[in-house]
Amino acid sequence: MSDATLTLTPPQSVITPRVEIDGVNGHDPRMLISMRNIWKTYQMGTESVHALHGVSFDIPRGEYIAIIGPSGSGKSTLMNLIGCLDTPTQGEYWLNGKNVSEMDDDELARIRNQEVGFVFQTFNLLARATALHNVELPLIYGGIGAAQRHEMAKKALSSVDLTERMTHKPNELSGGQRQRVAIARALVNHPSILLADEPTGALDSHTSMEIMDLFERLHSEGNTIIVVTHEHDIAARAHRVVSIRDGLIEKDERIK
Amino acid sequence: MLLRGLQLAAIWEAFRVATASLRANKLRTALTLMGIIVGVTAVIAVVTIIKGLDQTVAQTFSSQGSTVFTVSKNPQIIKSREEFIRSNRRKDVLHEDAEAIQRTCTACWRVGIAANAIETVKYNDQKAENVRIRGVDPLSMFDIDGVSINVGRIWTESEGASGREICVIGPDMLKNLFNDAPADRAVGQEIRIDGRPYLVLGVLEPLGSIFGFSRDNVVYIPYSTYQKTYGSRRSLVVFIQVHSTDQLETAEDQVRTVMRNRRGHLNGDTDDEGFALETQDVFLNLYGSATSNIYIVTIGVAAISLVVGGIVVMNIMLVSVTERTKEIGIRKAIGARRKDILTQFLIEAVTVTALGGAIGVGTGFGLAYIISALIGFPLLVSVASAVLGVGVSSVVGIVSGLWPAWRAAKLDPIEALRAE
Repeated sequence: MSDATLTLTPPQSVITPRVEIDGVNGHDPRMLISMRNIWKTYQMGTESVHALHGVSFDIPRGEYIAIIGPSGSGKSTLMNLIGCLDTPTQGEYWLNGKNVSEMDDDELARIRNQEVGFVFQTFNLLARATALHNVELPLIYGGIGAAQRHEMAKKALSSVDLTERMTHKPNELSGGQRQRVAIARALVNHPSILLADEPTGALDSHTSMEIMDLFERLHSEGNTIIVVTHEHDIAARAHRVVSIRDGLIEKDERIK
Repeated sequence: MLLRGLQLAAIWEAFRVATASLRANKLRTALTLMGIIVGVTAVIAVVTIIKGLDQTVAQTFSSQGSTVFTVSKNPQIIKSREEFIRSNRRKDVLHEDAEAIQRTCTACWRVGIAANAIETVKYNDQKAENVRIRGVDPLSMFDIDGVSINVGRIWTESEGASGREICVIGPDMLKNLFNDAPADRAVGQEIRIDGRPYLVLGVLEPLGSIFGFSRDNVVYIPYSTYQKTYGSRRSLVVFIQVHSTDQLETAEDQVRTVMRNRRGHLNGDTDDEGFALETQDVFLNLYGSATSNIYIVTIGVAAISLVVGGIVVMNIMLVSVTERTKEIGIRKAIGARRKDILTQFLIEAVTVTALGGAIGVGTGFGLAYIISALIGFPLLVSVASAVLGVGVSSVVGIVSGLWPAWRAAKLDPIEALRAE
């Protein structure tokens, strides 16, 4: 991080963080996610590129939130930060009471395992493993014993109505079924957040609706869901929509 | 407890993934295995053959026994030109020397004399060349030599002293002169040594061969007969045997004193004692010093192929890591730590090399078996070398898998997830 980076100020013409987010300087301990003045800077040769310019927002437990923005807006960077795949160049990120922004690789891996359930656009299942084994994988890295692991994975698969497909490998499943396996994998460890990156991007519209219905149900069961998307009708299913543009929060509105 | 459970589960997962990936890429696995198998086969075969040779040599010389030592003009092993020239200037060791030793040495149990000549032996139109003709006296020389009669008999004391043309033949003579006839058919026949007819009294038990040289290609004749044919002024070897090894030193001292007296070097005041006194250990020592360097070099050369195998494994593992970047990304995203990924790829490397090692141990023993059957020495299959083979190849797996595994472990999850 160079000094030049630190002294750069966000362009005022775009947008300032919403006023109701209190205290840019301190995190809100009541919140599940609390981000304060998050910057992410990439070094491209001699030039510094700011993917995020001081983003701050909070997500309470049990919220269903969509993060929307065009490509290049910084929403992928924000998603990687929320999912603890990366750490901010500057700023504080508190997840479930833990300051994630200062963690090292292995601590982040631990947080991802315990606190974050990922759902990807391309499912990202292990091709050679059965649905059951795919769902068990986070538990393996979480150190759960075999018997308990099977039990938990079966339960997660049954919660997405895939009990009969447990022994199938991904290539024997439809796109919607694969995404449901991925959702079961995301939920199996009872994470704090379910983080979905374009979860319907690879699905037809009918299947997309099924998956979105599933998200709705999971939300009604008390899960905190964050969907990152560029599609407005997908975002419209959430209860709150945060719009990102040029590395800043453009709009943050409650729609339900 | 939690930590241990975590590691066990992760290690089992790693093993499961490793075997699945090895099965999924059969050709690649086969090539990797080949690299290790060749290396381990070479090392195991070399070690096994060496052990077999060592055992053969040790047994050969211990059949004559560590209770035997010899006095002769020329040492049995001449280490330098100077030694050869010096020993050739010595007086011959003669029958009288043996008698003096017999008379004076109280610690000596049995004393015998032997002299060798190489001749062509004939029976009818059959011919055996380069046969060792061994003139011995008294009869106890057979025991000292560690040979025993199989069929027929040894000559009697009086026959032995008579200078008659009688002999006891080694089993190779049956093969070379009697068309592999049963031993009793040879007994009573007349063979010709250097044109003179000898009556076959008996056939010896086979001793086998060492380094391809048969120890059964021999004809024993009485020393009196040998002397008649080859002359009495020919140097011979005196064989002395003691009852047990703890008497060896005393006997050697006594014999040395007798011989010094007879050679006139009372105080050993010249460089040369005038005779060579040697135990059979001299062969073993020479064998050991001559072969140990050869062994190290041979094993070293074989080990190089194992290094090459390790490089093959490293290469394949690097390809494997690149191919599975996406998988690594997925695993990291859902909580695999660096050491989980590291362990996974290390276990994959060790699984394939340990398997290759196990197969290599098998083929190595097989190769050693074939070679030992061709050369003719016992096959020593030891558990230790099998364990060593698998162990060393596992270490090769760890060493050559470490770098690829480390590369996999430190992949950035975001980048890795982007890979296809």
